[in-house]
Amino acid sequence: MRLAFILGEIGSGLRRNLSMVVSVILVTFVSLTFVGAAGMLQMQINQMKGYWYDKVQVAIFLCNESSTSAGCASGAVTDEQRENLGKMLESPAVKQYISDFQFESQAEAFQHFKDQFSNSPIVDSVTQDQLPASFRINMKDPEKYQIISETFASQPGVETVSDQRQVLERIFVWMNGASVVAMGIAVVMIVCAVLLITTTIRLSAFSRRRETGIMRLVGASKTVIQLPFILEGVIAAVIGALLASGTLWLVTLWLNGDLSRQFLNTPFISSAQVLVVAPVLIALGGGLAGIASLLTLRRYLKV
Amino acid sequence: MIRFENVTKVYDPNARPALDDVSLEIERGEFTFLVGASGSGKSTFLRLILKEDRATSGSVYVAGQNVANISSWRVPRLRRGIGVVFQDFRLLPQKNVFANVAFAMQVIGKSRSIIRETVPEVLKTVGLEGKEKRMPHELSGGEQQRVAIARAVVNRPGILLADEPTGNLDPITSMGIMGVLDKINQNGTTVVMATHDDDIVNEMRKRVVELRNGVVVRDEAKALYTSMIPVVGESRLLKDASDEELDRAPGGQQ
Ligand SMILES: Nc1ncnc2c1ncn2[C@@H]1O[C@H](COP(=O)(O)OP(=O)(O)OP(=O)(O)O)[C@@H](O)[C@H]1O
Ligand SMILES: [Mg+2]
Repeated sequence: MRLAFILGEIGSGLRRNLSMVVSVILVTFVSLTFVGAAGMLQMQINQMKGYWYDKVQVAIFLCNESSTSAGCASGAVTDEQRENLGKMLESPAVKQYISDFQFESQAEAFQHFKDQFSNSPIVDSVTQDQLPASFRINMKDPEKYQIISETFASQPGVETVSDQRQVLERIFVWMNGASVVAMGIAVVMIVCAVLLITTTIRLSAFSRRRETGIMRLVGASKTVIQLPFILEGVIAAVIGALLASGTLWLVTLWLNGDLSRQFLNTPFISSAQVLVVAPVLIALGGGLAGIASLLTLRRYLKV
Repeated sequence: MIRFENVTKVYDPNARPALDDVSLEIERGEFTFLVGASGSGKSTFLRLILKEDRATSGSVYVAGQNVANISSWRVPRLRRGIGVVFQDFRLLPQKNVFANVAFAMQVIGKSRSIIRETVPEVLKTVGLEGKEKRMPHELSGGEQQRVAIARAVVNRPGILLADEPTGNLDPITSMGIMGVLDKINQNGTTVVMATHDDDIVNEMRKRVVELRNGVVVRDEAKALYTSMIPVVGESRLLKDASDEELDRAPGGQQ
């Protein structure tokens, strides 16, 4: 009976304050979407690190006909220079740092390039000669990149030594920055949401002061008087959290659909990972709304 | 049933107390009028019984219990034993008569079947049979006050407090309301009614407690609104004391 009564009160409260409730839903929706996006960006970074750090290599690019760097002044790499580089890689001084290496010819490089950009018109404008041959080195310890770079950068026939890990690191720094920005926006939005919930509950308590006054006089318990207001805020926030979770889920669908076809080698986070984020968002939204309502009622609703 | 022991209530330390060293006992089943000019402390007296406010000093006992010792989470239980009626009815405008009365039972968790059984009984007691479905705005003032009384007594409280229940009603309607309150009193409920209405008090001939500036200046059984007897003895002294205090109090008269 009391439960039915409380549910009825919540229903009438939600209906009476519909526009405020909708705004609470929307603000929590947007703020929690940013929280979720920040979290999922971090997950994406971790996932990419896990995936790529095993695979990243140091590449020694060899000169081709069109190379312009100083080391390539004498033209494309000769067979002799190439064999010499291979021997250096086998030498004990270098070998201790690397686990293995492969040689990638211009033809193979062109094939990889075609695979990777199969959907893009750029493939038609690139010829095999334009791509450099390279040694691909897997490091025992990726941190020791500097040693390889110093040893090989000035060797004849070497255009440049590049560390894919550094390229990745730049991407991660960028993604990390994006997630920090998302978190910052989220914090501001959460402050808005809390203030809005506070105002909504206050208005709600004010518009129902006659009811609550009578409830007090006939001896209704504090719980019966306050619970409808608190649940009103919590329900609105949880709906916002569900909308945010749904939005993030749609984003993962898009990542794994359209986007994964364009970036074949990128391991995108799966829709299942939204199941990790969603409960956090719901708990965060519901919890904040509950606390905000409780503190507001303590000030504005005499019991 | 209700006992005040040297109760003083100060709202504003710069003004005179709203109640000043009031000692009074109201027995179970009694009907008591609380009279006195505006601002004499009648509503304050009723608020202290409900623990809406705390006495500044002295003790208030309700049903043998010192209300100062009732913890805040048990105050609802105290209030379930006390019904309250006001001058302005305080009905819920969007609920019909039945729902207004049922509300008082719903919020303390009474079952639907008990509510369906009790509410019509109480509406009959206050003379509102057949008006269950009316909305408050479809009722006269007297009928609205009857609904308020029904709501106040539907949980069978031992005490009914009425703060100027006839203040908004014409004399004939007021007498009707008094009939209802009398009937409730006959059923064993202790009734305390604050009023300005001399006709009613003179008609009813019940106990009258008169307050002046927070002091009890008269307490007579079967009395009239204004005392016929010249004020003598203890009452005289009380009166003098209050006048002296008035002169001293900065907010008092002159
Ligand atoms: N909440 C309050 N804060 C400050 N002063 C108050 C408060 N309530 C009442 N008072 C003061 O206490 C005194 C007694 O007020 P009370 O309401 O008890 O009078 P009353 O006898 O009920 O008057 P009335 O017949 O006009 O209803 C008045 O001087 C009033 O100004
Ligand atoms: Mg009053």
